[in-house]
Amino acid sequence: MQLNEKRRGRSKRKRCRPETQIAPALAAATCALLGPGTPTSVVAQEEALPILTPWAIDTAMLYYGESDGRVRDFSLNAQARKELKEDGFLTLNLALDTLTGASPNGAVPSSIPQTFTRPSGEDSYTIAAGEQPLDDTFQDTRVALGANWQWPVTRLALLDIGVSFSDEYDYTHTGVNARIARDFNNRNTTLSLGAALANDMIDPVGGAPRPLAPMLGLNDLSNRQSGDQSKDVLDLLFGVTQVVNRNTVVQINYSLSSADGYLTDPYKLLSVVDPDTGLPVAGPVGAGVNLHLYESRPETRDKQSLFVLLKRNFGGNVLDASYRHMTDDWGIDSDTVDLRYRFALGADRYLQPHLRFYSQNAADFYHTVLFDGQPVPQFATADYRLGAFDAVTVGVKFGMDTRHGEISTRLELYQQTGEPDAAARVGVLSDLDLRPDMSAIIAQFSYKFGR
Amino acid sequence: MRLSCKSMCLALALLAAGLPAQAQGPAAVGDLTGQVILVDFWASWCAPCRRSFPWMNAMQRKYGADGLQIIGINVDKERALADEFLAETPAEFELRFDPAGKLAEAFGVQAMPSSFLLDASGNVIATHFGFKTADARGYEREIVEALAHAEESRP
Amino acid sequence: MNVIASRIPAAAARRRVAALALVLIAVTLTACAGVQPWDRDVLARDEMQLVADPLETSLDEHIYFSKEASSGGRGFGGGGCGCN
Repeated sequence: MQLNEKRRGRSKRKRCRPETQIAPALAAATCALLGPGTPTSVVAQEEALPILTPWAIDTAMLYYGESDGRVRDFSLNAQARKELKEDGFLTLNLALDTLTGASPNGAVPSSIPQTFTRPSGEDSYTIAAGEQPLDDTFQDTRVALGANWQWPVTRLALLDIGVSFSDEYDYTHTGVNARIARDFNNRNTTLSLGAALANDMIDPVGGAPRPLAPMLGLNDLSNRQSGDQSKDVLDLLFGVTQVVNRNTVVQINYSLSSADGYLTDPYKLLSVVDPDTGLPVAGPVGAGVNLHLYESRPETRDKQSLFVLLKRNFGGNVLDASYRHMTDDWGIDSDTVDLRYRFALGADRYLQPHLRFYSQNAADFYHTVLFDGQPVPQFATADYRLGAFDAVTVGVKFGMDTRHGEISTRLELYQQTGEPDAAARVGVLSDLDLRPDMSAIIAQFSYKFGR
Repeated sequence: MRLSCKSMCLALALLAAGLPAQAQGPAAVGDLTGQVILVDFWASWCAPCRRSFPWMNAMQRKYGADGLQIIGINVDKERALADEFLAETPAEFELRFDPAGKLAEAFGVQAMPSSFLLDASGNVIATHFGFKTADARGYEREIVEALAHAEESRP
Repeated sequence: MNVIASRIPAAAARRRVAALALVLIAVTLTACAGVQPWDRDVLARDEMQLVADPLETSLDEHIYFSKEASSGGRGFGGGGCGCN
């Protein structure tokens, strides 16, 4: 466990800078020395001031863009870390996001054009026959802030407490977190315990729909419930880190997450179709739209996950390999394998390919589509993110030391392939893509300084 | 205390034997018997070590004439990394290099940095694992006391 | 916590594999000697930290949290230079 900013072990030619808090005369004289024992005429100091690690600032620009006119996100991010007093570190985070593009609204395509009312109720949009129903209402900006304070409470134990906040037009998050880590076995073993508590307020455009209420026509918000929505989330993490040998460290974490409150996506629908033809059925009388029900998810969700990480040095190259298994009480199980291998190209640059495999099964209440005449379930969602799918990420990152830090860039391709419910392929739906692949590009440019 | 004989022998051995030395400090072994020695294990990758060097330099300047000799033992596996550290954070005390960690093991280093204060007879009278500036005054008092005892027992 | 008892065979098999992996790792860990404090030079390097790039990791976390049903898992604490 590191209590202090590590002294970087890689060779790096640095100009001697009197960046410390020692008196300038002493600092300048110290810089002039090239070895021990050279007599100097500097004024000896009574006591050395603590030399505190200077500001280390990481910045990143990130672009995330899905294909087919779907979601695009551009963000500016920064993290700054400073030793404010000996062994006490303050970390500040800031992120600014802008989100544009269209998201699937949960309905299935059809062989005829379909019209949907926007969440605000003030406008509608029409999807052509055979096209994916995407809602492009979402132009949003988000700001996220975080602050953490970390210090050693005893020689072998480290405490970290923090707060987090984020805000966008329909969602506000506030949270607190705390983590403690204690070293054993000559600092070869570390046990850590972390907890995070969050309260999120959701204020959907037009108001949250009543569960499984039908979509209505323009300017009709009678299917909405009153009041604000909120949810509380408690996360717990138990971790064991073990240094195996000079080149290897492993970590195992067990996490629990318990969410309570409004967990539904207020903008997502499920299509109701004829069980023989697969065509949409008429909506409420006078609404002028087909029957699509707003989704409804349970008010609680408990998740557990097991995460295992291996970091191994191979003569300057580093392997980062991890596996995570998640299971929850919505019936979702997932597996994630994440592999990175950092090839050191000389002392000051590296190339790091990245491979990630992900697989999840569908939530118990996931339905690609609902059939007219069948009883409406208590909970239902057609959100592709709760369905069964596999995803692969392939990427590469290149980084290079600069005079005072590091510059790096990475490019990744993320692809999801999923299957709709077999039962959904009826009538016209059997010829349509009910769960299109989702592809996205992730591009990041980073600059770190203060190293 | 249980290290007393071993540490004295080690201290003399490392100064007399062929471990590479980079120092222009007191050269002759004979000069060192009767001196209070502060042995400090450091590495280029250890941030608290960077913090301890100015303090050790100050101690060497202040008490060198009174009989204090600080010896910094570097445990880097690559000498170039140690040299880079010294170019930014020079040492005004004796340096020795122990890349295989044999001395570190013999002294019983449990953290980086670790320091061992030896009195004039070669007994380990104080051991410190880690370095915090807040504790430096206490360390200085130990040095002063050790020097005082060495002065008293000098014939 | 509800752990779904009767799942399709594939999910149950995956859980068994996960449990076995945990046991194997735990057994391996207890046999680990670790390293001496002066041998932590490699472990002190940036790229050997558990989370080598915290900013990038949090960006990825946010993306995958938004597009998948799982999140988190990574922790902190341990490894590194073990100084002080």
